[in-house]
Amino acid sequence: MHPYMENLPFLTIFLSMIAGIICGALHKGRTAYQLTLVVALINAVCSGLVLEYTYLGDLSFDYLMGRFSIPFGNAIRCGPLQALFATAFCLITAMALLGGERDLFHDILPEKLNLYFVMVNLLQASLLALTYTNDLFTGYVFIEICTISSCALVMAKDNGPNLVATIRYLFMSLLGSGMFLIGVAFFMGITGHLLMPPQAQAVLALRASEAYRLPLTVSVGLIVAGLGVKSAMFPFHTWLPGAHGGATTASSAMLSGLVLKGYIVLLMALTVRVFSLELLVELGITNMLFIFGLLGMAFGSIKAMREQHIKRMLAYSSVAQIGYIYMGLGLGTSAGMVASCFHILVHACCKPLLFCCAGRLSAVTGHHKSLRNLRGSAYRDIAAGIGFTVGALSMLGIPLFGGFVSKLYFSSASLSTNRTALALLTISLSTVLNALYYVPALLSIWIRPPAEEETTILADVRTEDLAVDTPFRSAAVVLTAGVFVLGIFYHSILDIIEAGVRLF
Amino acid sequence: MGRGNIMLETVLQNRYAVTAVILFGIGFLNVMLQQNLVKKVVGFNIMDAAVFLLLASLGYISGRVAPVVTEGAQAAQYINPIPSGLVLTGIVVSVSITAFSLALIQRIYQQYGTIDLRELRERTGKEDD
Amino acid sequence: MAEKPVKKNWRQRLTAWVDGEREFKDRSLFVMEQRSSVTFRRPTEEEHERREKHRLRWFLNRYPIGAGLLGLTLVAVLMAVVLTMPPFGQPDNPMHNEVAQRYLERGYEETGAENIVTAMILNYRGFDTLGESCVLFLAVAAVMILVLQDKKNTNKQDLAQRAREDTLLKSHQDTILKQAARILVPVLFLFAIYMLLNGERSPGGGFSGGTVLGAGLILSSLAFGAGRVQALLTRRVYSAVRTFGLLLYAGLYGVNIFLGANGLPNYLTGMTMLIDLAVGLVVACTIYGFFALFSRGEL
Repeated sequence: MHPYMENLPFLTIFLSMIAGIICGALHKGRTAYQLTLVVALINAVCSGLVLEYTYLGDLSFDYLMGRFSIPFGNAIRCGPLQALFATAFCLITAMALLGGERDLFHDILPEKLNLYFVMVNLLQASLLALTYTNDLFTGYVFIEICTISSCALVMAKDNGPNLVATIRYLFMSLLGSGMFLIGVAFFMGITGHLLMPPQAQAVLALRASEAYRLPLTVSVGLIVAGLGVKSAMFPFHTWLPGAHGGATTASSAMLSGLVLKGYIVLLMALTVRVFSLELLVELGITNMLFIFGLLGMAFGSIKAMREQHIKRMLAYSSVAQIGYIYMGLGLGTSAGMVASCFHILVHACCKPLLFCCAGRLSAVTGHHKSLRNLRGSAYRDIAAGIGFTVGALSMLGIPLFGGFVSKLYFSSASLSTNRTALALLTISLSTVLNALYYVPALLSIWIRPPAEEETTILADVRTEDLAVDTPFRSAAVVLTAGVFVLGIFYHSILDIIEAGVRLF
Repeated sequence: MGRGNIMLETVLQNRYAVTAVILFGIGFLNVMLQQNLVKKVVGFNIMDAAVFLLLASLGYISGRVAPVVTEGAQAAQYINPIPSGLVLTGIVVSVSITAFSLALIQRIYQQYGTIDLRELRERTGKEDD
Repeated sequence: MAEKPVKKNWRQRLTAWVDGEREFKDRSLFVMEQRSSVTFRRPTEEEHERREKHRLRWFLNRYPIGAGLLGLTLVAVLMAVVLTMPPFGQPDNPMHNEVAQRYLERGYEETGAENIVTAMILNYRGFDTLGESCVLFLAVAAVMILVLQDKKNTNKQDLAQRAREDTLLKSHQDTILKQAARILVPVLFLFAIYMLLNGERSPGGGFSGGTVLGAGLILSSLAFGAGRVQALLTRRVYSAVRTFGLLLYAGLYGVNIFLGANGLPNYLTGMTMLIDLAVGLVVACTIYGFFALFSRGEL
């Protein structure tokens, strides 16, 4: 008999699914919105309880999906790290919904709102499943759920450029899942299993016997590349700015903050549980990840610098941040992985904050989105201005903000490897480049434009947008607090992550 | 009997997997090279079909029958049921994705009057600031 | 910025820099978020545009070569992999291990399904299948977002055209189709029900049975007019059936998991058939839903 806590991870997945199905039958968008919000918060609380249980007990557990033991039936696995990610994902989904609420009800047709929340709920279910899964094929199924729902989130706004961005996103994602699936097929062909623990044994045996060397290399490469394509690793990032920049605020926040991370979390689970870091180093895959990570850090920032559209700028910045995460993985050490995990949390907290604030700033500017038009907008909604500033400063890596800690840990993780110089140089270069686009953005929202320009812009603003947006404010407060918590109390969080990586 | 013969034998033995790879290549090139969105979707379908063929060939064991057990039969009479189940799942996913992308393409055509990616790129390039 | 000859005070210069003057572009036009699509051109950026276009063309001209090479490399690598993989059809491949053996040997007693594939997808790996049904549900929802009639994707002209087509179809009814459907539709429905109920014994089951059921609905809708099917399967009924099917499935399966994982006895042993039915409903609704949405934009 298990402690009842161990039911909670599946319960969260299950709740999101049920909520998604029910949302499909609801008529009122508002009800669906409330249901989604409540479910996300309940899930966050449940995951928090699991986190407490696993961290204090210093354990991770397998939960059988049915009556059949591990090589035979589906299973999920949960440790402190999974619980931490799940808590963060659920909480941030709720905050993104709160923060983008007004835009949501403005951008999406009322009769289709309930379908939007179907997507949100199933997206959450798939993210949780990707975090917890202990089965490669379950991973594939939920990757597809994640793909469809995130594409639907992009296109929900339903104007021309959005549709085109969605189709590019969809095609890129499908390419990624095609590669992932064929990789899984090869991998299953040589290991004979779909669940991760027996696969790990099979991989060990294969490494020892040197049998099926080429299939092993290629299948691992295909799986990693497939997940890389889906999480916008550098050369495959071209779909991201259009998709994230054009979607409605809540969608952008969720896509940037969470969806990209879901795939990376799965990749990490595979790396630790099945492939093992040594194998990836041996096959040279970490080198590829490292190089693409570095390139992503540099090019993402450069592209962001040239961007005037605030949401696209943030989207390019995501490319750079994903580059950081892959660089950490590419270091091939567990310290690098810890830093990557921490950065996932930081970015999952900062980006939704930035996107929500950018959405709000553009709402009080008549839905203009170029930096020039956003001038002085921070004064029109102080909370959004402060939130944006906090997020941007965290991205720059100012001490006390979350981003600083992750950069610190990336640097210290790189010290013990033979790639120190390259990593440190790129981190500093990327920081400078970050400053080159975040500082102008900050200046532009805090400097008032000449009076006549301001009046022309203000003529486009709808009066109801200028009213105080309480849901947004609460979301901004929570996310800002999150950034500071990550920046100040990082020790305990890193403890959890280290325990999690150890117990993966 | 040279190396070529052994090679040919391997190819012939793994003929389904080889076909699957060729199909995968055709699908992949379709996806990459076609500018017409519908043809890209067809490319994805070919890719999926290739993966399903590969999976099905992984599960086959020579001389055995489909896994519907009847009384008094040995397990050694049946093929491996796992890949068949995976193919079923894969097909369902592929159908869903195809429907979704075709709906998207329909809407794009409504909006822009073209489904050629190049033209679309020109038409949307300047308006999504 | 400092070398700029024009005399401005620092604040103006800073503002200009912030506005992106470092790129020497005229950004005096307000950039609006939603704007009629085709007519807009930024006149002052013609040159920039031309350069961009040139670059795009340069890229597009070289792209096929690169993509082709990439594709061929991929095929070559995969081919090498396939040829070094375990050979086709051999019983001692890594694939054919204790897992498959257990499914085949004990599948019937553990799940009550003689068709081991059904046993596997509905019991051993039921979570995947739950995800799969969610994919179907999700796909219909996504297609509904896109093509369900609303003020963004349909205007009066479209509606008028659709009405014209409908009347045209009504006045020119296809006798062959109609007669054939009269014979085929009952058979299809019967066969679908047989497949749904007999999925644990024979090839078939929820997915195949549901597809045949959906095909029957589509055929009758084509032959006897959409109105006939719609009268039976109104939007409300459709949504109720779809939600109910998936909820039933998810509920049964959730209970199964919670009981199984906690080692509690499970009294729902005969539920493979029920699950099959629920899956069948979901699949049939999905297939018919795709058809209805694509052909008419409504359910």
